[in-house]
Amino acid sequence: MKPALSVIFFTVFSGAGLGLLIWTLIASTMPQHIRMDAATFYKAIGIALVLTTAGLLSSTLHLANRKNAVYALTRWKTSWLSREGVFALLLYPLVAAHLFVIHSGYASLAPFTMLKVIACALAILFCTGMIYGCLPTVPRWNTWMTPAKYVVFGLMSGAVLFTSALSLRPVEVGPIRTPMMALVFLALGIVLYFAYLLRYPRAHTIESALGVKQGRVRMLDVGHSHGTFLTHEFGFQLARDKAHLLRWLSILWAFVIPFALLAWSQWYWVATVFCIAGLLVERWLFFAEAQHVVRLYHGQRVV
Amino acid sequence: MRLGLAIDLDTCVGCHACAVACKEWNGASLMGGAPDYDAHGKAPSGVWYNRIRHFEIEGDPAFSPHRCGSTEPHPHPNLPLEGEGTHVPLSKTVNVPMSCMHCEEAHCVTVCPTGASYKRAEDGIVLVDPNRCMGCNYCAWACPYGARELDENAGVMKKCTLCVDRIYDQQLPEEERQPACVLACPTHARHFGDYDDPQSKVSQLAAQRGRQSMLDELGYKPTNAYLSPRAPAQVMPSLPVRSGLSEKAKAFVNRLIQL
Repeated sequence: MKPALSVIFFTVFSGAGLGLLIWTLIASTMPQHIRMDAATFYKAIGIALVLTTAGLLSSTLHLANRKNAVYALTRWKTSWLSREGVFALLLYPLVAAHLFVIHSGYASLAPFTMLKVIACALAILFCTGMIYGCLPTVPRWNTWMTPAKYVVFGLMSGAVLFTSALSLRPVEVGPIRTPMMALVFLALGIVLYFAYLLRYPRAHTIESALGVKQGRVRMLDVGHSHGTFLTHEFGFQLARDKAHLLRWLSILWAFVIPFALLAWSQWYWVATVFCIAGLLVERWLFFAEAQHVVRLYHGQRVV
Repeated sequence: MRLGLAIDLDTCVGCHACAVACKEWNGASLMGGAPDYDAHGKAPSGVWYNRIRHFEIEGDPAFSPHRCGSTEPHPHPNLPLEGEGTHVPLSKTVNVPMSCMHCEEAHCVTVCPTGASYKRAEDGIVLVDPNRCMGCNYCAWACPYGARELDENAGVMKKCTLCVDRIYDQQLPEEERQPACVLACPTHARHFGDYDDPQSKVSQLAAQRGRQSMLDELGYKPTNAYLSPRAPAQVMPSLPVRSGLSEKAKAFVNRLIQL
């Protein structure tokens, strides 16, 4: 599949933003463990909303006909893309309601509104994963691990980002202790990533594309002289050595370096930048390496 | 009604006439519009609702009843053919015109977030409403057959309409109320009809000839049928038998006459 930069930015940045939102809200309920003053809380919420909004706006850049985008909220009964849009728009009034509840003194309502925001953020992450995971035409994606990856990587980058956001608090609050949740999710993330890489769900052959049971099929002629929409959209070819290099780069940047930095140093922002950059590379590979079955009708033997 | 095409993989000669007729009709129709980009330039491209691809089936003995060719293994290193029937050539060329299959389980419709893609209840035709489509390409991702192409000029998805603006047109003579591709086919490899009617030509053809499974394992249940290539008739070459004395005498006389 063609790795569209707008979609890569969207999934990584809104994932990190939603993760940060979730962890900030959870942390706000346990002041005895995580000391966070009000200013830091609002800064963290602000960063989360800016990242999420930037991501969502970037996702509209790949639409060829943006004026009809408003209809995308209508088919939430069947379409994961539509569901994602509905939940994304629902997030803002829910966050506003929660902030209002905290401010206006209805403290008894706060846990209720907070759970709503967290559930909505998780739903957005899950729907984003299911947009890709529900497609039987792309065997590489068509597994439960795709939505799991989106949720876990969102929570992971959010946790790393939350550690950085905590470092914004005033000096008198004291130093940050080892961010265990970020470390746990970084470990979980790398395990899930390796599981995803090792298990290829299903394979289709050029013979099954034409229903040929005996013998072998090869393409004589693809029927067009230059590129088509299909070759442009689905014909992306990644050199193997380049894929190898990027794979290790993404593993190092997204998981290993942030883990080391968070566990043994105070360089929280550096860890965040590495984690986000690594996830961008990982997301680029997610698209670049996925192969659509229509490639069988363009002469590829196995997808 | 479940309207669809039956495409004969045996008689299709791969001339692309159906694709040209499709382009001609839909390029100017109210439903479609199929633009070309850089049509006379160095990299011509464009939207086609129908594309023809050419394949070769190798190593299926059904398509080479004479067992002609060499007994050597295939010389091509990428095609290691083994075992019985490895003679070269044991091959058959199949031309596969591909357009929208108007699937019963049309995943392109269910994934569409705007409702622009829809499948008509009355005849099963899958269509795109250009006034709702936002050009997100998601339906093209969901289609295994490459039936949907983005019109970059209008920013909306385009696809085969089964010539919905021909087949119900009362102004046309009845025999012309068929998709343009079907009318254009010079070898009558394309047929149009209702698969819900067991007596229709397409239903009968699909039942008699059998249909190729085109990625049926994905569960889309395509309506269009690709009629399986028929095995060629077995022809045994009749070699002259060893002749007796009288035959030799006759042959000698014949030769004398011809002198």
